[in-house]
Order: sequence, then C-alpha cells, then structure tokens
Amino acid sequence: MLHRVRVSHLQVSFNGEEVLNDLSFDVSAGEMFAVIGPNGAGKSTLLKSILGLIQPQNGRIVLDDESKTVVGYVPQSRVIDDETPISARDFVSLGQLSGFFPWPSMQERKVLREIMSFTDTDRFARKPIGKLSGGERQRVFLAQALVRHPDLLLLDESTANLDPDAQERMMELVQKAASDWGVSVIFISHDLELVRKYADRVLLMSRGFYKTGTKQEILNDQAMLKNVYQSISSEADGALQQKSPSAGLSLSASPR
Amino acid sequence: MFQYDFMQHAFIAGTLIAVMCGVIGVFIVARSLSFIAHTLSHIGFAGAAFAAYAGIDPLAGLLAFTLLGALGVGQMGVRMFRRDASISVILSLALALGILFLSLGNVQGNYSRTLLFGSVVGIDLQDIWLIVVITIFVILVLGAGYRWLKFDSFDQVGAEAAGLPIRWISIGFLLLMAVAVSATVQIVGALLVFALMTVPAAAARFFTQSIFGMILLSSLIAILGVWFGLTAGYYTNAPVSFFIVAFDAAVYFIGMAFQAIIRRRRGAETA
Repeated sequence: MLHRVRVSHLQVSFNGEEVLNDLSFDVSAGEMFAVIGPNGAGKSTLLKSILGLIQPQNGRIVLDDESKTVVGYVPQSRVIDDETPISARDFVSLGQLSGFFPWPSMQERKVLREIMSFTDTDRFARKPIGKLSGGERQRVFLAQALVRHPDLLLLDESTANLDPDAQERMMELVQKAASDWGVSVIFISHDLELVRKYADRVLLMSRGFYKTGTKQEILNDQAMLKNVYQSISSEADGALQQKSPSAGLSLSASPR
Repeated sequence: MFQYDFMQHAFIAGTLIAVMCGVIGVFIVARSLSFIAHTLSHIGFAGAAFAAYAGIDPLAGLLAFTLLGALGVGQMGVRMFRRDASISVILSLALALGILFLSLGNVQGNYSRTLLFGSVVGIDLQDIWLIVVITIFVILVLGAGYRWLKFDSFDQVGAEAAGLPIRWISIGFLLLMAVAVSATVQIVGALLVFALMTVPAAAARFFTQSIFGMILLSSLIAILGVWFGLTAGYYTNAPVSFFIVAFDAAVYFIGMAFQAIIRRRRGAETA
C-alpha cells in the first residue's frame, strides 16, 4: 500500500527540552490515523512538524510526492471575531489558491459548490462566519481544508469543543472524505470513544514513549493506556483529571 | 467648476486615489493595520518635510521615508507596532522630525499646511501621471497577490497551514501601503490619510459579506466621498478633506445603523 506520510526518527526540542524523540510511523492513503496521548506529549508539535511550521532537529518527514502533496489542516479552534463580516462561502473559498486570476474560474466555483454541499455548509453559505455556531464553524474550516483537494488532512483536536452530535457529524464527514477520495487523515483526539469508532490505526504517545498499532491493539491495552496517561500527569502534580478530563473518563469506556 | 483645469486635475487624481484607497483599505482593515497606516502617513510627513529641507521632490521624500518605515515595521514585527505605546512613540517622533525639517528648511507656512491637510489646488498634469502610475502599480500588485493576501488577511492560521509565506506577504503589503500612503498624502494630507484608507473599507463591511463586494463598495464609497468633498469644497471654500471625511464617516454610521436594524429584525424573526 502506498505510504502517504513516512515519519522517521523525528526529534524536536524547544529550549533544550526534548518534545519528540526518535518517533517513527507511516500513514497510508485513505487511512484514518489517530494520535492520542496526554497533554504535553507533543501531539500538536508532531502535526506542526508535518505542516512544516516547525523544523525538526533530526529525522525526516517524507510525503509521498513532496512537490505535489497538498496538506489540509483543521485546528481545534480559530480566533474568529463575532464581527468578522465575511460569509461562510468566502471563508471556504480562501483555500482556493491555485487559480491565476483574482476571480474564481468556473471549475473553482463548481468545486466550491460540491465541497460545501459535501460538508453541508451550503445551508448557511451566505451567513457571516462570526455568526455561526461552533459546529458550523468547524465544518466551514473542514470545507476550507477540503476545497484544496488535500492528499493529507491533519485535525488537531478539531472536535474538542463540539457537542457529541456535532463531533459525530464532523468525524463522519472526515471518514467519508478518506474513503471516497483517498484522503489520508491524521487526527488528534482525547476522546477515545471517537478514536475507537473512526480510527484505523492509533499512535499512543507520551514523552519518549511511542506505540503504534491497530485501534484494538492500543485501546484494549488498558494497563498501557493508564500507565502512559498517569506517567505524564504525575509529572504535572498528578492531576490526571484536570489535565485531560476526557482522556481520564474514556479510559474505562467499553468498546462500541 | 469643470471649466477650471485645477478642478479637472483634482477630480482625476482624487478618483484614482479613491479607487486605490478603497481597494487597499479592505486589507488594511482586515489586517488591523489602520493605525500603522496613520503612523506611516506621519513618517511620510517627515519625509516630505525632509525633501523640502534637502531641496528634492516631495514625493521622493515621502516614498523614501514611508518605505523605510514600512521595512522597519516589517522587520520589528507588526504585532509590536499594534501596541499603543510603540505607535505613539514612532508617530510623535515622525511629527517632531517633520517639524524640525520644516524649521531647518525655512519652509513657507503654505507648504506645511498642504503637507498636513492636503491640497487639490496645486495638482498639475505631472502629478496626475505620477498618481496614475502609482495607482496602476498598487492595483496590479494587489491583483497579482490577491488570493494569497486575501487568505492571509482574513484567516492567518489557515494561510500559514497552507504553506503561504506569511512573513513576506506582510512585509510586501506594508511596502505597498507605504507607496499608497505617499500618493494619498498629497491629496488629503498626512493627518487624514488613514481616514481615506480605512473609513470606506470599514463602512463597506456593514453592507456586504463578500470580500470582492467589500472591495467594490469600499472603492465606490471612497470615490463618492472624494467627489462630494471636491464639489462641496469648491462651492463653500471650506477644506475638501473635511467634506471627504465627513461623507465617509456618515456612510460608516449609516452602515452601523443598517446593521443594527438587520440584527434586530433577525432577532425578532428567531424569537
């Protein structure tokens, strides 16, 4: 199977403190790859390294065809002022960068319509982005990432602030993009239920500890999960519930 | 009034400047750079005063100082310049330098007044050609970089994640602003440049949710403001820049009221 992303021996430090050390994994085309672990484990740093926003000290991140691979990114939230006047449609179309002229081509308009229909954002296409609910905004951000036809989609706790229905809706869309268009997805989540439902494989990470496997291998190993979450939380005053309440709650959750 | 050459020149130059300010203003407002535009205009004032002292063309002084100013802002980081204290220090320093150069150059009061408050009377054909060149240049560059600039101005997180060179976009835009400020200072003066560059764009945001719509509307408001200002100034002998800013501000407040009415109506519908 084609490997869309191959991370080899990645090492990232900030101010002498090692955040990622000798991390290696790969993600295939169309795969849903979850990254879990307690806060401070370096999950967001990993995504930023793949995006090229952080330069690793060591190791390599190879995209399957670096000159052509388009990477889409949906963060947990963006600071959007409620007074931001631009419409959801215009916000999605910001992602359309490849055209020569300032105005969109017929093809770009068609793609925009298709993506907005796919993400069900066409219902509020004319509404200002600042007036949308959290779930609607996240779907607009997802649409903006998808409108660029990404080969790889990175979701950094994109569903963290959403209610359960909105979370499911968002993840269903992401899964559909992966299965219909072969988009590889790397998503960070603290919600192990969501991971169990939507991931194909999982990377469990803590400081210096990395374990990749199928979701069954990782999520059914309760002892390993508990160990990883507790080891880092004990470093931070042993406050597991405070640092990562959703992770703590989900540890005992039974498989769906 | 069109029987006078100076009024014809004023209308041509004013319309071009209005289009340029209307377009660039949408991005200035979106990037929250209004007060940096104001600071650049004061740096431009110091540049024009220096030009008078050194005996060179005022536009050359304006361009040299504003471009250097823009590079300085870009180098030190826009975020730092958004802070009140930084802006006040640089703005006051620029004004003080301007006053120093004017005094050293033993410049006539008329010249200082023109620099600060603008003048449409003295625009000759050569000025018009310069403004034509600057306007076309600014609009062409904005057109060429439109997609990148739009993305970076309205969604910097997304633009950075998409791999756009946001630092270079920021510096490039500041330089373009410096050029636009230099041309505009000559018409409305250093004190009111930022009004023409930001008020029409800020007003346009009340009426449309499309970025391209904002650009069109902002330009239209700026053009109508300049035409109104020139006409009212001609018939009343009062300063043109006052009427321009008064018109733009009136549209802004109408927009505010318009939005409040729309909100109330939507609130009533959903209740």
